[in-house]
Amino acid sequence: SPSLSTSLSVSHLTYLSRSPVCMCLPDYVCVSRRGLRLGMAKVTQVDFPPKQSVSYSKETQTPTCTQTHTQAKPAEEEEEEEEMAEPKPAEESQEEKADQEEKQEEVPPKELTEEEKMQLLHSEEFMAFFDRGSRIVERALSERVDVCFDYSGRDLEDKEGEMQAGAKMSLNRAFSDERWSKNRVVTCLDWSPQYPELLVASYNNNEDAPHEPDGVALVWNMKYKKTTPEYTFHCQSAVMSAAFARFHPNLVVGGTYSGQIVLWDNRSNKRTPVQRTPLSASAHTHPVYCVNVVGTQNAHNLISISTDGKMCSWSLDMLSQPQDSLELVFKQSKAVAVTSMAFPLGDVNNFVVGSEDGSVYTACRHGSKAGISDVFEGHHGPVTGLSCHSAGGPVDFSHLFISASFDWTVKLWTTKSTRPLYSFEDSCDYVYDVMWSPTHPALFACVDGSGRLDLWNLNNDTEVPSASVCVDGSPALNRVRWAHSGREIATGDSDGQVLVYDVGEQICVPKADEWTRLVHTLVEINENRDEGEELAAQRLVA
Amino acid sequence: MSAEVEETLKRIQTHKGVIGTIVVNAEGIPIRTTLDNSTTVQYAGLLHQLTMKARSTVRDLDPQNDLTFLRIRSKKHEIMVAPDKEYLLIVIQNPSE
Repeated sequence: SPSLSTSLSVSHLTYLSRSPVCMCLPDYVCVSRRGLRLGMAKVTQVDFPPKQSVSYSKETQTPTCTQTHTQAKPAEEEEEEEEMAEPKPAEESQEEKADQEEKQEEVPPKELTEEEKMQLLHSEEFMAFFDRGSRIVERALSERVDVCFDYSGRDLEDKEGEMQAGAKMSLNRAFSDERWSKNRVVTCLDWSPQYPELLVASYNNNEDAPHEPDGVALVWNMKYKKTTPEYTFHCQSAVMSAAFARFHPNLVVGGTYSGQIVLWDNRSNKRTPVQRTPLSASAHTHPVYCVNVVGTQNAHNLISISTDGKMCSWSLDMLSQPQDSLELVFKQSKAVAVTSMAFPLGDVNNFVVGSEDGSVYTACRHGSKAGISDVFEGHHGPVTGLSCHSAGGPVDFSHLFISASFDWTVKLWTTKSTRPLYSFEDSCDYVYDVMWSPTHPALFACVDGSGRLDLWNLNNDTEVPSASVCVDGSPALNRVRWAHSGREIATGDSDGQVLVYDVGEQICVPKADEWTRLVHTLVEINENRDEGEELAAQRLVA
Repeated sequence: MSAEVEETLKRIQTHKGVIGTIVVNAEGIPIRTTLDNSTTVQYAGLLHQLTMKARSTVRDLDPQNDLTFLRIRSKKHEIMVAPDKEYLLIVIQNPSE
């Protein structure tokens, strides 16, 4: 108001007239009883540097800036303050963090439509920016100078460390065939007992190619760099299991989805089976997931089990009818839906089977008690793979076997007890297969649906795998098979690829004391199991 | 015109060792990319923030100065950012190839 300004100027004048020395003192100090007198105050221009912002990246900073103004900052600098992320006090409470995360989440999803994007891309400013920017970038790209190169080699030492770790398992070969293995799942793998470089893989049907045969078995050769299969076999029904016929190096046996067992011969020029079992009630009418040749050179049989619990034993010379058949039923009534089968080392009579209901059963082929003997309960999902201990050595561990299941676990069992000895719970997906190393007594491999191939060494650690590799692309790995040497491991995935990994020496070659160490490990495991059960029993009582 | 932009982008993308190219607007939203969606969004968001911070650092040290180019060299990659008032051009290169 004008009156105010005049009174101000008047007071200023009167002030001046008094004493020049006191010019800087604020006048408002002399508040008299006359009322509030406004006076001029000389403002000292202070230039504070921006507050030292201890900034953390991401969620510790408030996205909406709180401004700490100092007096009379010039207007242009305010822009910078807004751009600067404001400091958060050192104590970030959990709720604040959660709040910010929510705020952060709210902000990004503003997407532009294709039209808007195209508009932007055609705008003049964009052209100008792009012209400049791409120019600089292209110059920078073409400069290949590595300013960080370290001649002392310390850089490479780090890399070597990583490579050492990687040397645990390295991919040797990847086998797949455009025509025959693409779009099919690898259902079984087997290494040839006679020629260690040969590997047979069976595949199920290709849904995208209904005119192609449903069942395929390919024999791959590790020795040569050739990327095509050594032999290509097919049949009318999806092949669920395959094996080289032991004692008959020219024959490959396949168990199919229809229940038929087929036999391929690499001496014939045909790709189709030379022999087939009948599709009748005397043989199998359900998918055959397990085929195995057991016995000796002079007395051997092909054993096959289908998912309805029927077990047949065949002579490889005559597949027109089984030599022997047996219904695997538990407690005289429940047929066992067999998904996997394993014979302990050297045994032709007793064997173990895993079923869809999650139980493992021991059984025997001959004798008064032919059929299912004991049930081993422990898994909460169908059993997908079984493996009996096979690494021969000073101590006999043939009573041990391991099972894999859809319940994400691998369990260690002994035929002497119906409760599992140990449960390996490191996987986060269905475990599809498991196999003991043929040479190392404490080592086994397992594969799961997330693309992981794990090697467990019981003597090292039972909580985590000793080596692990994740297959590129994370396909579900359906099968795992150690080579007879115990140095290589083959795995088949859901994309029809067969991958062969070399296992590092320090992992797969057993030392002399592995067997005795395993004895101690088993004692520990047993003790822990008993302790665990005591505790559980106490809790129940209490 | 736009064909030139396309051609240049293609040339950059096919340059030896280039893993991906992203063009980001002033709000950090990617408008052109050669990488998959989730990677693009991640790179765009993080590099946008970093570029803003780098620019404000340069301007704070000297208000008459401005950021012209940003290059991040890591063990595995080199990320180059050509900033502008409105846009960012991000190129990720693997220099050992």
